[in-house]
Amino acid sequence: MNFLLPISTAVSAVAADAAESSGSDNFFSGLWNSFEKTFIYQDRWMFFLNGLWATLRIAFFAAILGIILGFLIAAVRSTYDLHLRGKKSRNFGHFMLKVLNVISNIYITIIRGTPAVIQVMIMYFIIFANSRNKELAAVLSFGINSGAYVAEIVRSGIMSVDKGQTEAARSLGFNYPGTMFLIVFPQAFKNILPALGNEFIVLIKETSVAAYVGIAELTYVGNLIRSRTWEAFFPLIAVALIYLAIVMLLSFLLKKLERRLRRSER
Amino acid sequence: MNDNEVLIKVENLHKYFDKLEVLKGINAEIRKGDVMVVIGASGSGKSTFLRCLNLLEEPTSGSIIFEGVDITDSKIDINKHRQKMGMVFQQFNLFNNKNVIENMTLGPIRLLKQNKNEARANAMRLLERVGLADKAYAYPSQLSGGQKQRVAIVRALAMNPDVMLFDEPTSALDPEMVGEVLDVMKQLAREGMTMVVVTHEMGFAREVGTEVVFVDEGVIVEKAPPKEFFENPKNPRLKDFLSKVL
Repeated sequence: MNFLLPISTAVSAVAADAAESSGSDNFFSGLWNSFEKTFIYQDRWMFFLNGLWATLRIAFFAAILGIILGFLIAAVRSTYDLHLRGKKSRNFGHFMLKVLNVISNIYITIIRGTPAVIQVMIMYFIIFANSRNKELAAVLSFGINSGAYVAEIVRSGIMSVDKGQTEAARSLGFNYPGTMFLIVFPQAFKNILPALGNEFIVLIKETSVAAYVGIAELTYVGNLIRSRTWEAFFPLIAVALIYLAIVMLLSFLLKKLERRLRRSER
Repeated sequence: MNDNEVLIKVENLHKYFDKLEVLKGINAEIRKGDVMVVIGASGSGKSTFLRCLNLLEEPTSGSIIFEGVDITDSKIDINKHRQKMGMVFQQFNLFNNKNVIENMTLGPIRLLKQNKNEARANAMRLLERVGLADKAYAYPSQLSGGQKQRVAIVRALAMNPDVMLFDEPTSALDPEMVGEVLDVMKQLAREGMTMVVVTHEMGFAREVGTEVVFVDEGVIVEKAPPKEFFENPKNPRLKDFLSKVL
């Protein structure tokens, strides 16, 4: 502060100084303060890391389960569509296929028709009511959920492969499963990769729903720290940025894979 | 007459699509070395007849006896018998995810259990015969229509079939490419391959057919050696058809 200034300017300078110091020093020290509270105090960054790790674990195993379920359901539904739609079943195999097709349809209808958060709660509070394995409940719930969407994506992929490809393979003497695995699936996979990638991006973000039943994944951790520190900015922005980073990395890898698969055609 | 053994015997073949009767009782015999050319207006059932021969279309009733076995019997393993019946499609149907040599060796390696080198050597020999040895590693998307169809023919031949079925093999080709495919088929016929060919190429029928049949509304209404078939048709529908296409 400059004491040589006339009173009137000195007064306004004091006011300006005060405004400046509370505006910038307070702002930055406040910012640092909440950053410190959010990440450094009691090693809270470890919470975020553990939450991230749990999110990745749940998403990974749920994706695997979703792929397996999705492919099985899609195989049942498209086999039924190709061979049995509108025909009478003539033997036990046909009958079983018909039953499996009905089950698949019910599964897809229910899973797509109810919110994921309700599905997680049913899994957690009803089916896993007596189990301590919270994460398994989440993996099963999200895997079963994702499977319904993957099934429809895979089915659209199978349908996108020209019927002539199947006929050519069958005319050479390949049986139906051989034709599917050697000819149809590889081409279908290439066609559905973008949609499949999209589904996994949705799945990763959807695991945040697990916070609702108290599973300590990324979103839960962010919210927990927000409630302890009474600071919303850093925990929530940090969580958002971490999801963003995962999704960007996944998109990058998918794009690379897509390019590699396309190369075989040109 | 021809005393060669009967390779395919079709008896009273019927085919319905839902309630629509497409084949109304077809009887035919294809002997070893025959080149049977099937002609008819579109919608007459000629393609359905051909596709029934290897059960790509399942006949509603009737029997197809191939090398002494009724292949419409649901107890037989149709895949085994299909290995002996090569098929060439109007739309080529090469496997888009595999290059030419992979297209040709997939069946021989997986189904005939040939070893990889043997299958490749055989495929290269066939490719040389149709003038496409330099395309062995090309993908289908890099080939012209005529080249695709020639590859499709040698892919079927690589299985060493006893009969070749052609379903309008030149109908999807640009006019200047029809010749190269017909040449391959003529060469095949001269070498004694048994063939059933659904086509609109009357010149081909006349030149290499041993028997020409006319299908109309799901039945064979005329069957004769090409000379008699084209010069002295008896059925009025056939006369009408020939007057339009010749």
